[in-house]
Amino acid sequence: MKNLIRAFALSLVATGAVASAHMSNDPAKLVVTATRASLPVPSCPPDDPNACGIVVK
Amino acid sequence: MDKTEILNVVTYLEPLACLVTLGIMLLRKQLQKFGYLAAFLVVRTISIALLLPTRNMAGNLLTPKAAYQIYFYVYWFSYFVEGLLVFGIIYSLYKLSMAPLPGLQRLGYLMFRWAGGIALALAVVTAFGPHVSGTHFIMRFVTQLQQTLCVLTLCMLLFVCLASRPMGLSYRSKIFGVCLGLGVQAAADLAGSAWLSHVDMQSMLSTVNGVSICITLAIWMAYFAFPEPKRRMIILPTTSPFLRWNQISAALGDEPGFVAIGDVTQDMFAPAEVEIMQRASVKMTALAN
Repeated sequence: MKNLIRAFALSLVATGAVASAHMSNDPAKLVVTATRASLPVPSCPPDDPNACGIVVK
Repeated sequence: MDKTEILNVVTYLEPLACLVTLGIMLLRKQLQKFGYLAAFLVVRTISIALLLPTRNMAGNLLTPKAAYQIYFYVYWFSYFVEGLLVFGIIYSLYKLSMAPLPGLQRLGYLMFRWAGGIALALAVVTAFGPHVSGTHFIMRFVTQLQQTLCVLTLCMLLFVCLASRPMGLSYRSKIFGVCLGLGVQAAADLAGSAWLSHVDMQSMLSTVNGVSICITLAIWMAYFAFPEPKRRMIILPTTSPFLRWNQISAALGDEPGFVAIGDVTQDMFAPAEVEIMQRASVKMTALAN
């Protein structure tokens, strides 16, 4: 059990390390992951005329 | 059950799970010890409680534009505050795990402050760019800060994982559990960012993220619900580098003693000091003879 937990923790670290290495280095491209499961990320400016499509149909 | 339904369930489940975790922490009297984690859970619950109705009210009770403005600022402000609280959680985890070695703990504080300052400076510098407006700057700054904190979280997880034994911690301790939960979230966030850099699959990623949030909260609930074993007594050999570094670090920053160099005249001393020195001198002469 102890080794399983240790392996899981180390796999998380390895995932993070690999992901960091593969992240986009393009400063013009903004990559934002959703921090709340089904709530969209507000990536448009606040004065967006279409309100970034916030209206739920 | 399709993907959207799963996501909706997770969205309503998340604030509930945060409240349950807070409740367990309160019952187990852990709120003070893990204050930053409690604050993080409170901020997350409040932000979802504000964001969900705002989104649902868009086009009904609120105009879409007004709803989006509220949504935008609440989202990014809460995301920023969560970032600061995650740093606080990592800092408190380090403090708790290093409690038996106060010297090294003090040295670690210094490193943590530097790491926090560098993370903040890095986020500000990378957020600046050509044609970056005020609102775009907020998004870039907060996102960069969160990504840097994710890396810091995983470093902390690695440290706790490797140093748990020498620090007398077990894998059932709350310190490890909180770190593991944060690690799941950090790994999912970093993997998501890397994934989105190459493939645009936001909906798929939201599902993965929803699952990772559930796993994180389940880990925290389990670790706070079950009692942890007592911390083991740490026995280190006298030759242990841990012990030596701890002694050196404990001495660092102490008020130094002072040595008088050069000509020292008698009037620089108090009469009692002169008396003591004269008596000692007489005794030393007697002993020498």
